[in-house]
Amino acid sequence: MKPFVRVLEGVGSTVQLMVRAAYFLPTLPRQFGRFIDQCYLIGYTTLPIVAILSFFIGSVLALQAGYAAQNLGPKQFIGLLVGLSMARELAPVMVAVLLAGRVGSAIAAELASMKVYQEIDALETMNIPPVRMLVMPRLVAVVVMMPVLTIIADLVGWFGGAIVAKYTDFIAIEPASYFATMRQYMDFGDVMNGLVKAEAFGFVVVLVCCNIGLNTRGGPREIGAAVTRAVVTSLIIILVLDYFVTKALS
Amino acid sequence: MNNAQQTARVGLFFLLGIALIWVTFETLSGGKVFQDKGYQLIAGFESLKELKEGDEVRMAGVKIGEVLHTRLAGRHAEAVLRIGSQFRVKNDATATIVMAGLIGTNYIGIDLGSRDAPDLVAGAEIRTKNTPDINSVMSEIGQLSQKLEGALGNLGTALGDDPNKPGIIQKIDTLLTENREKIGGTLANIQQITDKVNKGEGTLGRLVSDPKLHDELVSTIEEIKRSATEAKTMIASAQAIVDQVKTGQGPVGTLIYDQKAGDDLKTTIANLRSVSDKIARGEGTLGKLLNDDTMLRDTQAIIKKVDRTLDGLDDTGPISAVGAVANGLF
Amino acid sequence: MSESTHTTNPFSAVQTPAVGVKIQHLSKSFGTVEVLKDVSFEVQPGEIFVLMGPSGSGKSVLLKHIVGLELPTSGQVLVDGKDAAAEETREQVRMALVFQAGALFNSLSVYDNLALYPREHRVGKESEIREKVMRALQILSLDNAAAKFPSELSGGMRKRVAIARALVMEPQLMLYDEPTSELDPVMSATIAEIIATLKEEYHVTSIVVSHDRDLTLAIGERVGILMGGKLLFLGNGAELRAPKDPKIADFLSPKIDVKNPRFRQLET
Repeated sequence: MKPFVRVLEGVGSTVQLMVRAAYFLPTLPRQFGRFIDQCYLIGYTTLPIVAILSFFIGSVLALQAGYAAQNLGPKQFIGLLVGLSMARELAPVMVAVLLAGRVGSAIAAELASMKVYQEIDALETMNIPPVRMLVMPRLVAVVVMMPVLTIIADLVGWFGGAIVAKYTDFIAIEPASYFATMRQYMDFGDVMNGLVKAEAFGFVVVLVCCNIGLNTRGGPREIGAAVTRAVVTSLIIILVLDYFVTKALS
Repeated sequence: MNNAQQTARVGLFFLLGIALIWVTFETLSGGKVFQDKGYQLIAGFESLKELKEGDEVRMAGVKIGEVLHTRLAGRHAEAVLRIGSQFRVKNDATATIVMAGLIGTNYIGIDLGSRDAPDLVAGAEIRTKNTPDINSVMSEIGQLSQKLEGALGNLGTALGDDPNKPGIIQKIDTLLTENREKIGGTLANIQQITDKVNKGEGTLGRLVSDPKLHDELVSTIEEIKRSATEAKTMIASAQAIVDQVKTGQGPVGTLIYDQKAGDDLKTTIANLRSVSDKIARGEGTLGKLLNDDTMLRDTQAIIKKVDRTLDGLDDTGPISAVGAVANGLF
Repeated sequence: MSESTHTTNPFSAVQTPAVGVKIQHLSKSFGTVEVLKDVSFEVQPGEIFVLMGPSGSGKSVLLKHIVGLELPTSGQVLVDGKDAAAEETREQVRMALVFQAGALFNSLSVYDNLALYPREHRVGKESEIREKVMRALQILSLDNAAAKFPSELSGGMRKRVAIARALVMEPQLMLYDEPTSELDPVMSATIAEIIATLKEEYHVTSIVVSHDRDLTLAIGERVGILMGGKLLFLGNGAELRAPKDPKIADFLSPKIDVKNPRFRQLET
């Protein structure tokens, strides 16, 4: 019963946080510097790891599909398979997972430590709402940066798959036919689907991590616990949300 | 790093992302935004089958547009087609739903129409033709084989599978057994005839000795040869017809589908049975048969054909049996 | 208008009326634990009020009620006649709380820590903010620390930066939470002097939470002692020197008795 109540509490406070952040949205121009900082952190510095990961995910997808298609024949459909899987599922989920691990944990740690060392209280007494200064710019930044990260993940993954498909002996299909199936059977809706998903994941991950950070209570030991909780919760939410968003979009 | 530089990097990064999304959009959807809207045509079908929005519309294999949306209109389905404004569709052109692959990709194929026909205007309804899809073809082939089986069963009864109802073969057998002596006599007569022939007596004798009659015989034989060749071609065309029957096309196909045609076949078989009955009863005819040379030859030919038919029936497959029947009958 | 009832702005010399604080029957419970039990007292405008008490007696919780960080279970806290629990009060009355550990923003330099409040509240152009921040640092002799980060500062400097940050807010009410804890005696004395100086020069109403007896006796104009969530003593420095309650006497000058240690005695 108690864990259930705690989950409900978490959901409730997260929704409250979202509403408060929305309320402070008009103050964005005043928080522009922080917004840029967060964009830099969420987008620019996360790019290398996103690129590396999606390259190899695309490669592995092509490799496995090629392995499966060895005795099947239509190998050029590997392009379609990699294209669709990356665009609709893997790019948004992997970017969100990386975001949770790299940015979400950092957000939770920073806010938890601010809370534990009374910096949040200090902001309150200075009549500076922490949500305005700490949460809203991050949420806007993630909304702006997620599509960028995801489209890069898509493209890098596709090219990774194309390279593997060309240079693997038992696949050996030309990039032209690899991309031809993709162009023939995929449309922008598939990519858009992935972008919308990524947007939802990114937003929720940052929101949840902010909430967990801000709701930390107790001593410095709680900072570590908050980070763990934030990352684990984010991962669970990503996968659960994935199901529902996919269902809603299909 | 100073602030301005960071802002610039973020801005650049964001613009890069937007550019990539735009490029992907352009590549995957062919830049629908800038493409002209073209004009719309409406194509009504009994069923749109696997056709869905966004499928291609091709004329002579060239993409000229796409399926804008699909809808139900009363008792039939309609597909609204968007045709590029640079393409003209003649008003006697026919649209069909074409299956491009077994995995369920379809497109609408429009033929060129006649050269002089006027163009269709926007919003007009295009002529359509419903084509069987693979499922209906399959089920029709199933029905066809059932009908064939039924027809062959009838033929089998006619030819004497049932011991209580003597079939044609049994009747011929009885005929031969009962008339063994007469046949023996006939054979003796034939012997006599050949003897006569040898001696140059009677018609055949004269045939052998008379050069004029010989020439006639030669031409007759040539004629027979020619007929044999014709028969061969007929058999070949029969084979083709049977093939068509397999695919459910052509008059024979309809013959087999058609209940009336099936009934006709049954009547024919019944007639055949009554003929054989008459043969069994027909003593006088038989005497005539034994005395008349031409009748004898005819009888022999019939027996041969029936024999071939029976040989053919040994084959198990219904389709090949049809082939054999056709072979035998022609 | 006497000087003592008006707060002088350290930056613009503008005088604003000093604010008083009224605490009425304040009770606070965390779950089943009652931290404050029906506490009532008043802080006059422009005075230094010292709230003493042993650790865990609820002093810091009371302080948080004044700035609105905690909401009372029952009773009321009035700052300048306005409910401290209401959001608007914080906008109408400028209050600054100097946290026990400083609560400096670790990610910001000392300068940015001080500049945060004026920047967020758009009180002026960047040049004006700079002037103000440098003046606050000057007041607390922190001129050289502007570019440093909080992690590079010593404990005493942190507290001074925290006070400077509070000062930049041009407060009408200064609240200090254990300003001298964890500091050596000299640094403690320095902080006490700063509090007194700010009061002397700018007539800021100050509430100091402390269990530092020397500080209390040196600068406290009026003193309250909170024990077990109850206000046991309320009076001026002179009264505090001759306490009637033995508990208070023991709290102020505890005798170390090794034979009969306090922690073995039953709580009464």
